[in-house]
Amino acid sequence: MSLMTAKRGARRQTLLGLAFASPFIIGAAVFIVWPVIASAGYSFTDFNLFQAPSWVGLDNYAHMLQDSTFWKALANTLFLTVTGVPLTIAISILGAHFLNLPVRGQPLYRALVYLPTIVPIVVGGYLWRWLLNTQYGFVNYFLGLLHLPQPEWLEQPAWGKPAILLMCLWTIGGTMIIYLAAIKDVPSELYEAAELDGAGWWGRFRFITWPTISPVTLFQVIVTVIAYLQIFTQPYLLTQTRLNEASGGPGQSMISYAMYLYQNAFVFLKMGYASAMAWVLFLITLVITLLLLWSSKKWVHYGSERS
Amino acid sequence: METRITRRRPLLRTVALAGVAAAAVALSGCSGGASSGPTTITFSYLWGGEEAKALEKVIADFNKSQSAIKVVGVSSPDAQKQLTSMSSSNGSFDISDNFGNTVGSWASKGILAPLDDYLKTEKVDLDGFAPAALDQMKYEGKTYALPIAVHTQQLMYNKDLLDKAGVQPPTTMDELADAVKKLTVTDADGAITQIGLGNPSASTLFTTLGYAFGGTWDGKNGKTPTPDDPKNVEALDWYAKTLTDTYGADKIATFTSGLGQYMSAQDPFYTGKEAMVIDGEWQAVNIPKVAPNLNWGVVDIPAASPELAGTTQVTTSTLFIPSNSKHKAEAAKFLAYIVGDKPMTDFTLALGNLPSKTSLLTASAYGDIPHFDSWLKALTSKNAKSLASQPYSAQYSTDLATAFDDVVRGVASPEKALSSVADKARSY
Repeated sequence: MSLMTAKRGARRQTLLGLAFASPFIIGAAVFIVWPVIASAGYSFTDFNLFQAPSWVGLDNYAHMLQDSTFWKALANTLFLTVTGVPLTIAISILGAHFLNLPVRGQPLYRALVYLPTIVPIVVGGYLWRWLLNTQYGFVNYFLGLLHLPQPEWLEQPAWGKPAILLMCLWTIGGTMIIYLAAIKDVPSELYEAAELDGAGWWGRFRFITWPTISPVTLFQVIVTVIAYLQIFTQPYLLTQTRLNEASGGPGQSMISYAMYLYQNAFVFLKMGYASAMAWVLFLITLVITLLLLWSSKKWVHYGSERS
Repeated sequence: METRITRRRPLLRTVALAGVAAAAVALSGCSGGASSGPTTITFSYLWGGEEAKALEKVIADFNKSQSAIKVVGVSSPDAQKQLTSMSSSNGSFDISDNFGNTVGSWASKGILAPLDDYLKTEKVDLDGFAPAALDQMKYEGKTYALPIAVHTQQLMYNKDLLDKAGVQPPTTMDELADAVKKLTVTDADGAITQIGLGNPSASTLFTTLGYAFGGTWDGKNGKTPTPDDPKNVEALDWYAKTLTDTYGADKIATFTSGLGQYMSAQDPFYTGKEAMVIDGEWQAVNIPKVAPNLNWGVVDIPAASPELAGTTQVTTSTLFIPSNSKHKAEAAKFLAYIVGDKPMTDFTLALGNLPSKTSLLTASAYGDIPHFDSWLKALTSKNAKSLASQPYSAQYSTDLATAFDDVVRGVASPEKALSSVADKARSY
């Protein structure tokens, strides 16, 4: 094989490689990169999807400041994030410990915990609407058996957000399984050493498990925070009314940021305002993620840096 | 390596050939549609089930009646899909349906084709339609939709419960308040076991009450939101005073949460948990089917003052032609047919809705439905009102619903709730 043919072969290989990657490159350019750039442009316009957009400068951003529904949606979303993320992490770590116990039938329990994750989210949404139904729902039926108060989940403003959290935490199996893998990776000699030093279960968790799995925790916290900031499907399904009408649950207690964004875009046909909202959410998400990464220096331990 | 490269050529050729073949198939598909014979138009509708069946019969009758146009009906209940289909240059349907409150918004954005010229060609007489229904079909002087079916609201009452309490069907708001008081039953703990006036939809009840007190939701010109019209506030105050303040919003909420599903055999009006309710004509068709033993009657909505007698709220189901239809003239021919006397009677009867043409209100076909005449009669009342159909309507109804919800839950006074909507409305 001469040098020329080898060179030509290499170029051909590059072209061939690009050709094989082209479905992704073209797809990403057309369906991701361009819409992102376009939405930034639309955020400075009055655009209704059907007619040409007209430039309005910063009006959309200024309107957010005085839009009470915007603030309500933002407050709801932040509340869900602040309560949902710690609950997800705590329950996942606790559950992972239970799934790590050497008991008979453990693979079955692990499968059961993971099962709700496989249920399509829309199916889950309708399921929960019935489970939370005040009159026919199983949730209140069991609460009644236990002589606990039976709230009107989807009718009282105070219980709307707990209902959303309940539905989100139902699909916690995925996070739990990742934690289970992380816990299984903690070197057992560390526990033995700790036990020799007289550490109890709390000491073993506090000084060995928690630091060792902290990189996984950082990842989970970031992923879960982003998921909660973008929460849409659960509240949308729980508050859905008929046809294309916008709804936010009793007293707008269940309207999330992404839901209000959707309503502006596709119900009120204010695509410009929706685009501006999307960019504000992006900035909020970016700042929170950067803060988490910055704080991680204080509480995340990587095995390679230590010992 | 070398062999792989040489082998690529025939592969490329195969791909190219396959592409040409596919294009040929696609082209032949197109030419098939453009060949002579009837023009095919697509009628995409949101209805399903029994209602779709009734509509398909009307479509079949039309196809049989002539040979130039063939209408294909598609049941597609996804309103979001309907909207997106109209945003492209190539739509998927030529005629479709929605509700009167979307006309203004869609017309202002150029989604709907103006119909006036077509209606002139097809000799459709707009004067034949009920005025309150036709108001919603127009935007800036042009007609963008036609009402295929309409709805009015009347006061229904449970005869047995009224007789037991010695109450006559009310005709004024004071009598209604008095009747609610006598027909609401509480147990020893103050828990409600029967309520005088039901509230299946706060949006419908409160906007209707606003009209019944002489208020308006869209100003005199029908173009600007006026949620805090003093008469609207008065209407909501009446509700708050009669129910929320007297029995407690929390008590009412607890009672409401235990009620059965609307229009099912467990519907609270059918089971006697609600003695009276303001509702639409579809109930007259549903009750004989679901609750045949219910002993009920219906009267005009009580008037706050004599000149407001016969107040009702009219809502409409519409048919329209999207601007991106390629066959507007043919679609208009079908539209003219379906709002004709016989198709409209057949269709509204099947749905249990009111016809939108005043000439049909006395048609004998509706005579078999118990009490239906009360809702039919209401349509011609001079106090039959309808919400404006303006670009802001979707957002307005969302904000009103939130305000009404606050009033029902007793967390905001009617005045405060409605003035907060007025604040929001300034930036629609």
